[in-house]
Amino acid sequence: MFKKILIANRGEIAVRIMRTCREMGIQTVAVYSDADAAAAHVLEADEAVLLGESEPSKSYLNINQVIIAAEKTGAEAIHPGYGFLAENPDFAESCETSGITFIGPPSRVIRDLGNKTLARTMMEKAGVPVIPGMLEATTDPALLYQEAERMGYPVLVKAVAGGGGKGMRIVSEQEEMEEACLSAMSEAEKAFGNGSLYLEKCVESPRHVEFQILADQHGNVVHLFERECSIQRRHQKIIEETPSPAMTPSLQDAMGNAALSVALASGYVNAGTVEFLLEPSGQFYFLEVNTRLQVEHPITEMTTGIDLVRLQLEIATGKPLAFKQQDITRRGHAIECRIYAEDPEANFFPSPGLVLLHREPAGPGVRNDCGIYEGFEVPVEYDPILGKLIVMAGTREAARMRMTRALESYVILGIRTIIPFLIDILKSSEFAEGNTYTDFIDHNFRDWTQKMEDADLARIAYVVDEMTSSAKPSATAKERGWPTPWETLRAWKI
Amino acid sequence: MKYRLKIAQETADVDAFSSGSEQNIEFIIGEETYHVGYRAVSNNCLHLVVDGKAIEAFHIRGGHGKHVFVNGRSFLVEDADQLPLRRGRRTGIDQAPGDVTPPMPSVVVRIMVEEGDLVKKGQGLIVVTAMKMETTLKAPYNGRVTAIKTTVDAKVAPGDILVEIEEEEPENE
Repeated sequence: MFKKILIANRGEIAVRIMRTCREMGIQTVAVYSDADAAAAHVLEADEAVLLGESEPSKSYLNINQVIIAAEKTGAEAIHPGYGFLAENPDFAESCETSGITFIGPPSRVIRDLGNKTLARTMMEKAGVPVIPGMLEATTDPALLYQEAERMGYPVLVKAVAGGGGKGMRIVSEQEEMEEACLSAMSEAEKAFGNGSLYLEKCVESPRHVEFQILADQHGNVVHLFERECSIQRRHQKIIEETPSPAMTPSLQDAMGNAALSVALASGYVNAGTVEFLLEPSGQFYFLEVNTRLQVEHPITEMTTGIDLVRLQLEIATGKPLAFKQQDITRRGHAIECRIYAEDPEANFFPSPGLVLLHREPAGPGVRNDCGIYEGFEVPVEYDPILGKLIVMAGTREAARMRMTRALESYVILGIRTIIPFLIDILKSSEFAEGNTYTDFIDHNFRDWTQKMEDADLARIAYVVDEMTSSAKPSATAKERGWPTPWETLRAWKI
Repeated sequence: MKYRLKIAQETADVDAFSSGSEQNIEFIIGEETYHVGYRAVSNNCLHLVVDGKAIEAFHIRGGHGKHVFVNGRSFLVEDADQLPLRRGRRTGIDQAPGDVTPPMPSVVVRIMVEEGDLVKKGQGLIVVTAMKMETTLKAPYNGRVTAIKTTVDAKVAPGDILVEIEEEEPENE
C-alpha cells in the first residue's frame, strides 16, 4: 500500500478522502490556493503545498504545479476527487509519465469516455441502449436543424465536451432552435474550448438512475447497485437516494448488466459511475460514464458497508477485488442532501462569506461530509458546495423523516444555504410518494420562498436573548478570559 | 418590554411580559400570544419551550441585527427602531430597487458601459461572478451613467453601488 498520497482537490471531498487515508495509515498531502490557506482540507492533511493564486486555472487546475507538489513531497499517488482535474485525461497521462499512480482509470479510458459521441458508439456496439441521436458532433447549425427535423421535437442540444449542464439546451419547437444552438455553442466554446454540438431525442419525464461500478486491474468487474439522482436544479443534483423508488428486481438485473457491459466495453479500471435515464415505461438509456468518485458515493457506502475510497486505493496498487457480484448485498435506504451555499429565493445565486455559527446534526444513521467550519470564510472562487448530509434508515420513509430531522438541526449562520429548501422538498407529498423526475423542482418548487411560520419563534429568541444577555457578563470579554470591571472593582460607592 | 422586530419585509410589534416566575415570559406578537419558558444554554444557544413545545434556537450578531436559527430555518431579525436610515435608503438585503449593487459577494467580470453613456431600463451594465455563476446587473431605469465605482476583478459586496445613474425625467406626453 502507498505510504503517502496527494489529494488534488479541496473542500469536503478532500477531507473525506483523507479520513480513509488516516484509517489506513497513509500520510496525506493537501494542495491549496491563496484563498484556501486555512481551509478544512489543509487542516486535515499531514502536509500542505501552496499551488498558487485563487483563480482555479492558477491553482487547482494547474497540472504542472500539482505534479511538482507530488514530486516535492514524495507522494506516490494522486487522488483527484471529483471536479477540477478528476476527468482530465491529460492530467492522468501526466501522472503516468511522471511515475505517479493516478487513483482512477487509465488516461486512455478517461479520454474515450469523455468523448460523448465516441462513448455512444462504443455502447451501441456493446448492446447497451442509447438515446436516439446523432453519433457525430458538428459546428454546422444547418446540419443540427436538419437532424432535429428528422428526430422530431423536443430535442436536447448537447456540447460534445460538456458536463454539469453547460452547453446544454432543451428545445421544444423549431422556432427556438437557432437561438439555442448559437448560445449553447458559445457557452461550450467558452467553458471547454470546443463548441461542437450534437442532438439527442429528449426523453420526457425521466428519472436519473446511475450504477456504481468497481473494476480491478485483473478484469474483475462488479456493480454496487443504483442511486437515483432525479432532484436537480440547473441540471445539477441536490438530493440523491438508494434504492431508487422505481427499482424492481428485473429492472435492477437489466440495468446492472448494462452497467457491467459498459465497464467491460471501455476497459474500465477503478471506481466509476454509469449514468442512465429511466423512462416511466421502464425503458432505460445510457447517458454517460463519470470516470471518478461521485459526489453522491456515500449513499452507496451506507447501504453496502463498502468504503469506496479504500477500494479505489487498493485497486490502484493492483490488488484484486476480494468479492464477487453475488457477495454484495445492501440493506436499508440512504438519502444524501447536498448543502450548497446558495440563496434558493434568488434563483440559487451563490452566497459566499463568513460562517458565523456552525452546528452539525448528529444521531443514529447520520453522516456529515463537511468542508467548512465555524469562522471559515467560504471563498467566492469555487463551487458553492459546503458539504453533504447523508442519512440511512431501515425504510425509505424512515430515511426521509430522519433526513428532515437532521436538516432541521443543522445550524449554519452567516451565509445563505439551501437547507430550508431541502426541508420543504423532503416534507412534500410528491417526494414522500417517490414521484421523483428530473423536472421535479421546476414542476413542484418553482418560485419557492421561505416559509414565515417560524418567524415569530425567531422574534421570541431575539427578545429572550436581549433580556438574558444583559444579565450575564460581556460574552467577548469573558471568552478572552479578561476580568470585567465588575469583577475587579470589589465594593464601591457613588 | 416592547420591540418592533423586522424579518425580511415584515415588521411586527412584540410585547414581552415577565409572568411572575423568573424563567417564563408571555409574548404578544401581532394577534398571537405565546407562553415561553427559557434557559440560556450558551452564548449562542437558547433552549425555549414555546406553548409546551421544546425548541433549540441559535443566534449570533451580524448585519444590522441578529441571525436566528429555529427549526432548520434562519432569519435575520432586526430592531426596526434602531435600523440606520440613509436618505430613505438602506443597505443590506433590502436595497432600494434603484441601486446597481450585486446580490451576493462577488467579483466583477465585465463592465459594459462607460461614464456618460445613456442607458435604457433593463440594459446590462456589469457582469459579476461568484462561485462559477455569472449574473448581469441591469439598469433600474432610463438615465445617464454619471460614475462607475468599480473595476474589473474587484471584489464587491451587496450594498456597494457599482454604477451611478442619473435618472432621466419621465417625459410628459
